[in-house]
Amino acid sequence: MQNPQHRAPDAFSLDLDDPTAADKWAAELLRECAKAIADKDSANIHRLMWMLNELASPYGDCEQRLASYFLQALFCKATDSAAHCYRTSLAVAEKTRSFDSARKVILKFQESSPWTTFGHVAANGAIMEAFEGEAKLHIVDISNTFCTQWPTLMEALATRADDTPHLRLTVVATSSGAGAVMEEIGQRMEKFARLMGVPFEFQVVRGLARLEELGGRELLGLREGEAVAVNCVGALRLLRVDERDAFLRTLAALRPRVVTVVEEEADFTSCKGDFVECFDECLRFYGGYFGMLEESFPATSNERLALERECFRGILSVLALDGDDEVAVGDCERREKGRQWCGRLAKAGGFSAAEFSEDVVDDLKALLRRYQAGWSLMPAEGNAAGVYLTWKQEAVVWACAWKPN
Amino acid sequence: MQTAKPMMMREDHLHLHDALDILQPSEHWPGHHHPILLPYQTPLSFPQQMLDTSYSIPEQPELAELVPQLPFGAALEIDAVLTDSSTSTGCFALEHRPRKVARRDVDHGSGTSSLERQDDDHGVSMIALLLECALAISSENMTEANRMLHELTYAASPYSPSCAERVVAYFTKGMASRVINSWTGICAPLIPHDAILSSFETFNNISPFIKFAHFTANQAILEAFHQRDLIHIVDLDIMQGLQWPALLHIFATRAGGPPHLRMTAFGASAAALAEIGKRLSDFARRLGMPFEFRPMAKRPGEVHPSMVSRRKGEGLAVHWLQHTLYDSVGSNSNAMRLIELLRPKVVTLVEQEIGHCGGSFLDRFMGSLHYYCVMFDSLGASIRCDDPSRHKVEHGILGREIENILAVGGPGRSGEQKFESWRAEMARRGFAQVSMSRNAMAQAQLILNLFPSSLGYTILHGDGTVKLGWKETGLYTVSSWTAEPLIV
Repeated sequence: MQNPQHRAPDAFSLDLDDPTAADKWAAELLRECAKAIADKDSANIHRLMWMLNELASPYGDCEQRLASYFLQALFCKATDSAAHCYRTSLAVAEKTRSFDSARKVILKFQESSPWTTFGHVAANGAIMEAFEGEAKLHIVDISNTFCTQWPTLMEALATRADDTPHLRLTVVATSSGAGAVMEEIGQRMEKFARLMGVPFEFQVVRGLARLEELGGRELLGLREGEAVAVNCVGALRLLRVDERDAFLRTLAALRPRVVTVVEEEADFTSCKGDFVECFDECLRFYGGYFGMLEESFPATSNERLALERECFRGILSVLALDGDDEVAVGDCERREKGRQWCGRLAKAGGFSAAEFSEDVVDDLKALLRRYQAGWSLMPAEGNAAGVYLTWKQEAVVWACAWKPN
Repeated sequence: MQTAKPMMMREDHLHLHDALDILQPSEHWPGHHHPILLPYQTPLSFPQQMLDTSYSIPEQPELAELVPQLPFGAALEIDAVLTDSSTSTGCFALEHRPRKVARRDVDHGSGTSSLERQDDDHGVSMIALLLECALAISSENMTEANRMLHELTYAASPYSPSCAERVVAYFTKGMASRVINSWTGICAPLIPHDAILSSFETFNNISPFIKFAHFTANQAILEAFHQRDLIHIVDLDIMQGLQWPALLHIFATRAGGPPHLRMTAFGASAAALAEIGKRLSDFARRLGMPFEFRPMAKRPGEVHPSMVSRRKGEGLAVHWLQHTLYDSVGSNSNAMRLIELLRPKVVTLVEQEIGHCGGSFLDRFMGSLHYYCVMFDSLGASIRCDDPSRHKVEHGILGREIENILAVGGPGRSGEQKFESWRAEMARRGFAQVSMSRNAMAQAQLILNLFPSSLGYTILHGDGTVKLGWKETGLYTVSSWTAEPLIV
């Protein structure tokens, strides 16, 4: 350990008691710190991290929390310990995760904010319409939703005008940890289907080291005469950037009726290689997310704490894990914006965007009315398709449906 | 005696004291030398949960049971009963019934549900991991420490119904912060004064320790200055000055007329000092008491002793309430020198009973763990786990102190040696201890009477001091000293 300096460094411009001082002190300090790292300015790196360390707290207000997680990530970067930190964090998260705790967090999140339910309603709507008249359905679910999306869809199938179709659900476990809870989830799905009177089969495709290895029809066990829908919620961003196009081609080869895609609206991909640009975008996105969490949950919420903690690895991997270091095994978190996914889906996948019907849009608007003010729906424009969920006029989640050409 | 309507301890606490105008001032008690400082008969309004004894908090195992106790002085619980005597003066008699505190039985028998036993196990294993982590940090095994910090962070939430988890959450945060600040190599803290003062006020509202300190210290000062006309109080860290209006009022309304009172107040923030000075001056003016206020926006250890002086004929009191929120005093030896040179009639000291504050990281860790376990227990016994005030205090006061104690450089955050115990230092330097009087203890009991009696706060008395603690553990100790025998 270095000999500690005991005098405060001169000239730090933060007046902690100044009521007119920037509300968003965290963003300012964090950006300066990122710049110091990019410039390899050791003295400033130390000074700014010291300030951030004094002010940050994972249990304080939104600014303090943001500062806390970003500081941890920057610290890992500055000390070259990011890969190790990532692995440790992942191992611990998997060890402490339980079905009950994950379920509690997801359900509470859905109650408090449309962040996840928006995508579910949009995707379910598009899937229902694509499956119209079909008797044998197969949904390939590549997502992080822990199947919370499907009960509403099953209900809709059960109340469909014609005979209730047969539904197969194949869940592709997207992270190594998720596989463990899938057993329990599968049982619950089967139980629910029985209740709804929907003939149902459930399987988990597990142990896929990399999503990109998703084979074809055989691996998923697709059968003749089935209408296939592929549901990708928060999944495409887990793929390595240079393998995304190939993956979409693989999806196309499944000959699905519809592919539904839901992603968070951020671009950590085109800035790859430019640390400061990546940093700014990362701060923008997570700053918005943390702010939204603060306004959606009570201050002493454990669920909010869990959701924030889950962000850490994403932040760490974007800021401190680059290129070959990139943590393997489907834990990449390089998000792309809707417009960018549209480009890939059209070019590499050979899909065309299918507009959401008026009914689906109405359903989405009705959904948003159930939550506090600040949320709204915005249709995509220009060279993007689909719809956006916006929070305080910022697009945060993108949803779109695609059909093969 | 008329009673005023219940008042909230609002920010402008002086409103409360305005209400005292319609109460009779404290009266001299024939046959006694010292007036009893009668506090307000009007109940101070506390958060409803604390007064509502029907609200039950699920039984939690006493967190303090999980942590080895550090021995403190003899615990003798004084059960002070105030009875209204029938004499014409309407005075109060004080009855002391000293009795030993019963050994607390750790009963995990029939009453404990399996869920509680689970909590016990979880609590115990988290504390064990916490200790392991502290060991790793103290032996600079950072790889292991980091792994354990990750585990502890995931395992412990500061909002948990379990006090153990909450304490672990804050100790973990403190250790994680230390890891970073030992890398940055800078130790000087950034101090958000407004936020701290605000949290401190909440602490004063939901927990009796600060009021206890204020009222017992005030009583000691009052007793020292019976019938003095010139009084000078030096407060080494005035914070928001919550302590003084009550004392000002007593002085201003005593029989024989008010004294000339002046106050020298040290504080961290010049702006806060100006505001406090104005409020106290306005208050004194309304009471018709001559009053001078001298702000010193410095630390006592940083001023030349000539900056503070005693005028001829003045009775001088020095008061200091210790905390670990920031370094309020600066160089301990300089501050002590200042006190010595002032030759005060009375020095009132309020100390936290945190062991080994000057020692190694591990010493400080162990010493403070027990203290804060007990402190968290005391809050958890009466306040809901999701109460924002409780969180504000745990995060803004207790968590902050924990972080300072664990930080590189310890609570002083500097390389200087701090006194392990100010009481010991006072004795060493020849100050004579003045035993805290029965009236001072009566004050303490009156403060406690504002809290539901089923709670576990205890007043401990021994070696001339008064302690307020939770169950058997003393947390804050008030002692009184005088330099007078030194005057030749």
